[in-house]
Amino acid sequence: MRLIDIIKTANHNLFQNKIRTFLTILAIFIGSFTIVLNTAINSGVNSFIDKQVESIGGDGFIEVFPAAMYDQVNSAMKSGTAATEYNPDTGSALSSNISDSDLEKLRKVEGVNTLEIFHMLSPEWITSNHTDKKYNVAIEYFPNTDFNVDLSAGQMLDHEAKDYEILLTEEYLEPLGFKDPEDAIDKTITIGFKQTTLCYTQPDNCIKKVDAKVVGVQAPGILSMSGELQINAALSDAIYDGSMKGVPVETAAKANIIAVGSVDPEKLDNIREKFRNIGYEIMTIDDTVGMIRTFLDVVLIVFTIFGAIALLAASIGIINTLFMSVQERTREIGLMKALGMGSGKIFLLFSLEATLLGFWGSVFGIAVSVAAGLAGNGIAHSTFLADFPTFSLTEFTPLNVVVITLTIMLVAFVSGTLPAIKAARKNPIDALRYE
Amino acid sequence: MKPLIEVTNLSKTYGKKSTAFRALKDINLTINEGETVAIVGKSGSGKSTLMHLLALLDQPTTGTIKINDINSHKLKQRQLNRLRNREFGFVFQQFFMNANDSVLNNVLLPLKISSTRRRARKKLALDALKTVGLEDKASNKANDLSGGQKQRVCIARAIVNNPKIIFADEPTGNLDSVTGDKVIKLLFDLNRNKKVTLIIVTHDLELANKCQRQIHIKDGKITKDTGTKTSATKKEAKK
Ligand SMILES: Nc1ncnc2c1ncn2[C@@H]1O[C@H](COP(=O)(O)OP(=O)(O)OP(=O)(O)O)[C@@H](O)[C@H]1O
Ligand SMILES: [Mg+2]
Repeated sequence: MRLIDIIKTANHNLFQNKIRTFLTILAIFIGSFTIVLNTAINSGVNSFIDKQVESIGGDGFIEVFPAAMYDQVNSAMKSGTAATEYNPDTGSALSSNISDSDLEKLRKVEGVNTLEIFHMLSPEWITSNHTDKKYNVAIEYFPNTDFNVDLSAGQMLDHEAKDYEILLTEEYLEPLGFKDPEDAIDKTITIGFKQTTLCYTQPDNCIKKVDAKVVGVQAPGILSMSGELQINAALSDAIYDGSMKGVPVETAAKANIIAVGSVDPEKLDNIREKFRNIGYEIMTIDDTVGMIRTFLDVVLIVFTIFGAIALLAASIGIINTLFMSVQERTREIGLMKALGMGSGKIFLLFSLEATLLGFWGSVFGIAVSVAAGLAGNGIAHSTFLADFPTFSLTEFTPLNVVVITLTIMLVAFVSGTLPAIKAARKNPIDALRYE
Repeated sequence: MKPLIEVTNLSKTYGKKSTAFRALKDINLTINEGETVAIVGKSGSGKSTLMHLLALLDQPTTGTIKINDINSHKLKQRQLNRLRNREFGFVFQQFFMNANDSVLNNVLLPLKISSTRRRARKKLALDALKTVGLEDKASNKANDLSGGQKQRVCIARAIVNNPKIIFADEPTGNLDSVTGDKVIKLLFDLNRNKKVTLIIVTHDLELANKCQRQIHIKDGKITKDTGTKTSATKKEAKK
């Protein structure tokens, strides 16, 4: 029998018992749907992140933290404190130190272009005239401006300006009492920070305030996801000087220090390794989004396991269906063998029937997940993703779809082997006499 | 005349030990090319069993079967399949059709198995259906035919591959005498025109007498074998 005839016969046999076949396919469909949609969401979100990271630029930008501080920064970012209400008991201070000799060593590492000391600022809260509440805030001053910051209103910070300037993110608009991005421009906000020395003598009254002008609002994107507000050089200096007031100069120079710089992105791995040996950790833009990626990967794995369990259950369904099919077709098998069909072809006929079950199951799974994905994209774009017209929540790559289909077909084939062997081993006469 | 099938000391036992049943006991016979042989006997005497063994569908418990001077034990499974597919035609006692498939598909099954091209096998199957007078039923579902029509479909399937030997188990069992005669005429025409050897299991004595040779079986033993008739008696039989 030709392969094409075997495939046609297998497919024909499949639809002899429509309800049974449908139920078996449904089980496979659930597994395939879960895996395909989940992979599509993962690759959609990941490619969104890629695009964002790419659009920000700053490939070679690094922040260097003393190893101990790195953990603090990391957990602060993970807990996501942006725009939550301020609680005076928890505070925000981070302390660190980078010695001059270490800085020299770090600068000499191959691939490091520039590396400058940079004062980390840890203000206590942010507020405005339009609200009574104070909110947690993290601010960031990027001395080198090779980032493309997306603004939904206003303009970029001027690091040369004498005025204190800040960029808000959209998360802060409503808490601070602004209607929309435009509304916030040129308004004044107030940042509170601790004057460290004062806190020893008057712990309840050591918070100083500084007013700054909102020059722009950052569009939602990967940079704003970190929750940090960007400020200009003048404001950075003001907050730093204010918080270090009364501290001896040498001590002040060593508090809350990190280094920022730019490196050759190609050599990043090597640089990271060398820095670690000296006792410092590097954080790149990719690392900042890396946490989001890790989360996504965990979601992917969890759902893939769900899908795999569904497929496992489905494959037992396939075995069952095929055993019934072999039983029902006992005479047919006997007839074909009597008419000279070889055992190998009989095996192929039934294992192909199983493989086709897998094929149809995954095809329906893919079709429905593509439909669901498109519908999901539509809903997302009219609601929570309205600001990201270019972001598709789900992305179906042909490779993923093909790999998933082939895997499911393989699983189905393997499930079909046992019943197919049973069919192939039947003796023609016994099979023909079977009532 | 060339011997086609030679059987020596053939016996077949079904089951094991306490349930063992000797369905065939020490059968010896030779069937020549172009012969028409009737296997007759009461129900349960072992006719179908013998036919299945001759057609190499089943293995004997003891004894040998030679086809064209080749011991069947020596044939590989592939060769055996090929032999059954290309050289043999079968009409089984209980039809054995794929009830949900079309009449045409049932008839062309042997050709499908032998990997004949689509167009050729369709043509051959339609020819075979025409021979049994059922060409207008080609696209009907096999299950929807009457008993006699089903029997004729089975005959069409048995002749579709132009076999050298046709094994027919009760080919007229379900037919009225008119249709039965037609079927018989058809088989004997194949014998006359194409030298097809006929091995027919029947308890219909009229049909048995039309064959050149009758092998009588009782309780698994040959009780009477008329042997190949001479050409003179053959002519006589034709009258
Ligand atoms: N697979 C089997 N297992 C056990 N006994 C069997 C088996 N096949 C046939 N027999 C027995 O062998 C004997 C011969 O059976 P067979 O089918 O050859 O009879 P038959 O002459 O063709 O009868 P009928 O005219 O009714 O078709 C019967 O007694 C039957 O019960
Ligand atoms: Mg019988």
